Amino acid sequence: MRERKFWLRLNGEKVSVSSPPAHTLLEVLREKLDVTGPKEDCGKGECGACTVLMNGKPVLSCLVLISQADGAEIVTSEGFMKDGIPDFVQKAFADNGAVQCGHCIPGFIVSTEALLSRNPNPSLADIKTAIAGNLCRCTGYTSIIRAVEHAARKK
Amino acid sequence: MNVLHERSGKIKPIAGGTDAIIQLKDGLLQTRELLDISSLGGLRYILREGSTVRIGALSTYSEIIESSILKSSCPTLVDASKTIGVIQLQNRATIGGNLANASPAGDTIPPLYVLAATITVQNHGGTRSIPIEKFFLDYRTIDLRADELITEISFEAVEKPCDATFLKLGLREAHFISVANLAIWVRWAPDGKSFSDVRVAMGAVAPVVLRAKKCEEFLRNRILNQNAVWQAGQIASSESSPITDIRGSAEYRRAVIPSLLYKAVHRLTESRRMWDRP
Repeated sequence: MRERKFWLRLNGEKVSVSSPPAHTLLEVLREKLDVTGPKEDCGKGECGACTVLMNGKPVLSCLVLISQADGAEIVTSEGFMKDGIPDFVQKAFADNGAVQCGHCIPGFIVSTEALLSRNPNPSLADIKTAIAGNLCRCTGYTSIIRAVEHAARKK
Repeated sequence: MNVLHERSGKIKPIAGGTDAIIQLKDGLLQTRELLDISSLGGLRYILREGSTVRIGALSTYSEIIESSILKSSCPTLVDASKTIGVIQLQNRATIGGNLANASPAGDTIPPLYVLAATITVQNHGGTRSIPIEKFFLDYRTIDLRADELITEISFEAVEKPCDATFLKLGLREAHFISVANLAIWVRWAPDGKSFSDVRVAMGAVAPVVLRAKKCEEFLRNRILNQNAVWQAGQIASSESSPITDIRGSAEYRRAVIPSLLYKAVHRLTESRRMWDRP
């Protein structure tokens, strides 16, 4: 497939990248731009491990083509760090034992950041809805929900 | 439109991509070329003109869920949209895409059936309007030519004495595909004891979404009580032709239809009761 040049505003920085237009945003992030927070697990929109913010909204980067993201603002879990220091959400996950193998966590971080940016005082039901699209096979979710509640109090 | 016309049959439009990209990965797309229409802002609108609600085909579920017009004019479609996938999908997936994908389990389709929605499609030569029941021809087959694009979905707002609701049965609480679903639209008789008109549509229980016409006929102008509604549910069940698949057996699907109808009528009865409160 012929490559084309695409622009992204990625974690605050303008980047350009060449890719076949039908490759997914996730493939481009991981393989071309070395942004490996988002993961590919199912590749079908079931697991949420590839969640990123696109123009401020959480989307599944495995189900967005790079050509559909041209010119978009993309934020991955890495984008919430300041000078290499975890932000309050990332810290809440670590402090509450919400991270076991860690594989799904970048997706949970992005979903949590999206929730708290539009709803600083989420109910338990709001939290469950916000992370319903993220699967975790280690924690059983209890510690993750506790981490989100903790982060909301810190906001 | 010109690209679709010139490359007709060789190119397929892609909107949010939440179904099409999976088909692309699985090698199921019929064409080698995709035309990305997801950034066409002109097809993203939700309007009300008089009693008519008009939804641009590229409106996302998130936009439908958040629309104050739809919350008041057709909460049923909002409720159905909330049950589709999860936030990450609702931010991308479009109502036009749900129609074009034409899954028998597509959750916006039964509500649009009972709303008697009109689908507007367009090609380089002009537009045509199709009643939704004529739009779905067979399993995953729709009345849409290769050079046409779905542009708009329109229907009459649901207002007293009319009401509507949608129910969906799945295998877990979030992010599930319907085992069976059911939408109902009614016009209450003035005394609030029967429906003077009623439309019922069922999804995931036949190759295409199905109107339960015998069930409707049975319910029309009949005084509502437990027996009548259970009987109506049995009739609806006999009108279905479900298959056994990974999500449930044909027998199970037939067995749950009466319960879905019963719950739906119960919900309408409860909300009718609220109307009479001062």
